[in-house]
Amino acid sequence: MSVKLERLVEIALRDVLDPEMGRSVVELGLIYAIAAAPGGAVAITMTTTTRGCPLAGFLKEAVARAAGAIEGVTAVEVALTYEPAWEPAMIAAE
Amino acid sequence: MPMASLSRWTMSYFAAALAFLIAAEMLAFSGAGYPTASLAEPATLVIVHVVAIGWLSLAMAGALLQFVPVLVSRPLAFPQLALPALVALVAGLLLLCAGFAVLAGWIEAPLELLPLAAASLLMGFSLIVVMLAATLLSSPSVGMFAGFVLIGLACLAATALSGSAFATILSGRGDWLGSVVLLPDGLPFHALLGFGGWLGLVAFGVSYRLFVMFMMAPEPPARRIRPVVLLAGIGLGLAGAGLVAPIFGRESGTGIAVAALGMLALASAVYGRDILTLYRVRRRKALEINMLASIPAFIALGIGIALLPIAVATGAGEATIAALTFLLAFGWLGGLTLAQLVKIVSFMTWLETYAPRLGRGPAPRVGDLLAMPRTGWWFALYFGGTALATIALAAGAASGFRWAMLPCLLGTLGVVAELVRVRRLSEIKATDRPPAHERPWLLLARADERKPPHVQHRNAASPRA
Repeated sequence: MSVKLERLVEIALRDVLDPEMGRSVVELGLIYAIAAAPGGAVAITMTTTTRGCPLAGFLKEAVARAAGAIEGVTAVEVALTYEPAWEPAMIAAE
Repeated sequence: MPMASLSRWTMSYFAAALAFLIAAEMLAFSGAGYPTASLAEPATLVIVHVVAIGWLSLAMAGALLQFVPVLVSRPLAFPQLALPALVALVAGLLLLCAGFAVLAGWIEAPLELLPLAAASLLMGFSLIVVMLAATLLSSPSVGMFAGFVLIGLACLAATALSGSAFATILSGRGDWLGSVVLLPDGLPFHALLGFGGWLGLVAFGVSYRLFVMFMMAPEPPARRIRPVVLLAGIGLGLAGAGLVAPIFGRESGTGIAVAALGMLALASAVYGRDILTLYRVRRRKALEINMLASIPAFIALGIGIALLPIAVATGAGEATIAALTFLLAFGWLGGLTLAQLVKIVSFMTWLETYAPRLGRGPAPRVGDLLAMPRTGWWFALYFGGTALATIALAAGAASGFRWAMLPCLLGTLGVVAELVRVRRLSEIKATDRPPAHERPWLLLARADERKPPHVQHRNAASPRA
């Protein structure tokens, strides 16, 4: 159940696009972890390409909104981390 | 975590900066200043200061007010000082130009305009230094980037203070400065600290950080960047020593200037190698216009800074030194600034308009705000004109220089028109534009209304079911 929910959340996050690259936060490697509890609470760990990115708050909100829109998700917690720092090698191959 | 948001007055800084660039280009095209007049004549001093303070310093200050908080993840310190600083700088520059006009005998007014201008400029630059230094030093770890900016700000202070002393001497009120002969021996060092330290070194530091973001390139390790700070720091230290040497009764001479320029050339070589690496290893394969238009700026830096120390050392004529200085000011600093303005304005406009819509459905990309390839043609005109003007200066062809400034001016006007279109969202389909009352203002960010939603989404549940 929770693995399926995590997969659904990941698919939903593919619609959250970075405005610079036009690629999703998932493809860019900004989503570090998605963990769904059996009750439907989802915890997402994400980063931004740079610390203090002016978009960070907006991206976090968009990710929370996209995940929260999935049926079966009862709560969303998005945590921003810079450990490890994002690097371009984390971008999925084109 | 504290988040950086939009700097409210940055667009106003950019608008004032571009207005001064256009004014300088129009003056040069009209035949005012060097090479029609000599290098030290008031008309030349007007153009040089309109470019250095009006165009380059205001654009740099506006960009730093936006990016220093982003790059050190701290909110801008004393943001309420941004507008007074802008007013003081613009007023100071206009007074300075008026003072030069009095010196030239174009207008009748007391020469006290010059120290008054100096006081206003000192006030404006001090406010900038306070905002930026306080922001940088509030960061728990002062990194390499902060080092570039802090050294640059120290050079700005030295340039502004020495400039104020010059202005006071020129007004005939410099008796209290005693027998210290700051003029004309101090002039090359004043220029070196301003162009090389404040504008040049800060451009190095900012570009390391921004290009990593713009091109999605891995950040160069600190050990690669450290020699740039070290070499430039020594060069600028020498320039500072040359500036104050007369106070201690020493002659500064050409040797110190050549040594300072030589160190800056070495720093630029290491910097150039790093920037080339960033271009080569970038993950974002298609270069955007800001990175394409920066390439001629880097070429101008390479040619200008390699030849300038040699020209000064070998006692090359005034024409050669003027041509190389022009190339560095218009090709390197001006070209890089103009190129990056296009990106910064687009990004800030997107942030204001579309960031709140992120993830709520399709939204234009940042790059969609700018008309391409048209903007590229404006840059071609600007850089073409700069190259021709450099050649004309070196050849001592005054009318050639004037006519070469025309494409420069047209290119600049074109870029400015594109920037206005970016702010007006002119390239965006009408259906994708927000209602008129929510669109960006031309000169002012709606900073207060567009604060990022500070991350209160822990447990933000919005289940659809």
